[in-house]
Amino acid sequence: MMTTSFDKNMSAVAFAEAGEHDTARQILGENAAKQHGKSPAPAAKKKPYLKTIIFGTISLSAYYMLFTNEKLVTEIFTMGGWRWVYPVGAAFFFSFIHGAFASNLLSTLGLEAKK
Amino acid sequence: MKKLLIILMFALLPLSLFAHSAMAAGDGPSKDMLKGIITEVNAAERTVVFEKDGTKEIVVLAMNEKMQPEDMKLNQKVLINLDKHAEAGNVMKDVSVMFMDMNASKLIALLVIGAVGGLLSGFIGSGGAFVMTPAMMSLGVPGAVAVASNMCHKFPKAMVGAYKRWKYGQADIKLGLVMASTAVIGVQIGIKIQKYILAQFGGAGSNLYISAVFMVVLVFVGGYVFYDAWKLAKGGGKETVSKLALRMQKIQLAPMMHFKTAKVTISAWITIPVGLLTGMLAATIAVGGFIGVPGMIYVIGASAVVASATELIIAFVMGAWGSVQWGLSGLIDIRLALLLLATSLIGVQLGALGTTYVKDYIIKIVMATTMLIVAVSRGVKIPGYLIDLELMNPIQENTLALLEGISFWSLVAALGSAALIIIVAMVKGMTADSRSKKAVLGVSNG
Repeated sequence: MMTTSFDKNMSAVAFAEAGEHDTARQILGENAAKQHGKSPAPAAKKKPYLKTIIFGTISLSAYYMLFTNEKLVTEIFTMGGWRWVYPVGAAFFFSFIHGAFASNLLSTLGLEAKK
Repeated sequence: MKKLLIILMFALLPLSLFAHSAMAAGDGPSKDMLKGIITEVNAAERTVVFEKDGTKEIVVLAMNEKMQPEDMKLNQKVLINLDKHAEAGNVMKDVSVMFMDMNASKLIALLVIGAVGGLLSGFIGSGGAFVMTPAMMSLGVPGAVAVASNMCHKFPKAMVGAYKRWKYGQADIKLGLVMASTAVIGVQIGIKIQKYILAQFGGAGSNLYISAVFMVVLVFVGGYVFYDAWKLAKGGGKETVSKLALRMQKIQLAPMMHFKTAKVTISAWITIPVGLLTGMLAATIAVGGFIGVPGMIYVIGASAVVASATELIIAFVMGAWGSVQWGLSGLIDIRLALLLLATSLIGVQLGALGTTYVKDYIIKIVMATTMLIVAVSRGVKIPGYLIDLELMNPIQENTLALLEGISFWSLVAALGSAALIIIVAMVKGMTADSRSKKAVLGVSNG
């Protein structure tokens, strides 16, 4: 059954009057979130720990691979000509992987844009 | 967005076809530069046997009078500048090892510069480049490699920043692409002017020209942005479209263009000069954003938030284009680019989300502060160039060294103070936001 926001508010009031403050709050919170896309009382958003760890690991291993093969990489990447695709491609690759890690890291630290 | 970026990336590929045409400031090495390996040193004849990179061509080069045979690095990739003015051909002017040895302190320095540069870039749309290249050079990286590696770090950073700010509804992709396409032409014009000045007045003349452009643009534009931000701060921070932009928007000259996010309808004939100047400045002082962002605000009529976000799109296109050029010459030290990226990708996203918490004029304040302090760094270099051109009497060596020091540290100060303003404004904005959320919660809880 679909409930309108009026219905929800009324049931919240009913719960509040009956002393069930927590339930009332829960109903109101959910309601606001669905109506406006933002909630005055946001339910604790799940932090992307797993994503941060996965992207962090990929990024770190890519950096590790690059620096352990430093000599080979710098040699090949600076040959010039069509080999420009190596440095430019690597920069793109790292920006996606490491960029995703950085984005998730900031979310994990609770740093999000103002909604 | 990712799809769009990939399309854009492929659109950039054909540009590489006519890439070799532009080879000057920000776009490639000079023709007097050789890249390769010294395979043999002949101390008695003061010559070296040099194997050119790629073609494997063997040439014999002579040392100049200041060079010592033991300074020649064998079997390492080196960059050699030839002395154009030497009477005998193939005389070396300087030799520099292409890939510096990385140690812990250099690594930390690169990570710190990356983080602060990224923060600034995410917040005001450009920044960092003016300090990254000199900083890398002072770590022992040859100039051309420093410029190339900075370029290769700039475009992924700008891409990530542009993506974030597009998600926040701040970046106008159409305006960014229109500006970028004219800016690319502007770069070519800028290079032509540079080459002309270099041919007419030599290295010192060219340096003087660059510093003069730096000073004029930064002092006048930076000063005006600061004045505007100060007025806004006093008047409660409500931003209005500038009178000049309103007048420009009234010009009905086909083709008219509508920019949705910037909420502007303007003739393409107005955006073209702004884009051209952005590119010309980028070719001259490596930071086109110092014209691009104020241009979009005061001439086109976008808000500071939209202008700074859109600048990131321009920086991405121009950075990717420039990186292809430098990649063709094989001068990008990918280690440097990726170390800068390690922290700048975090910084740029932090700066981007920071813009959602601050008032519009804070962006202007950060921009103006950076511009005015960078102006000092270039200003103190002018006496040195004037002496080189014999337009001024020589001054003491240690005074010149002091001026050099002031120049470098004022760049550091520019970055530091900008980062400080951003962080303080962001923390204030976040605290106010969480307080207001709590207040709402309090009301709804009765």
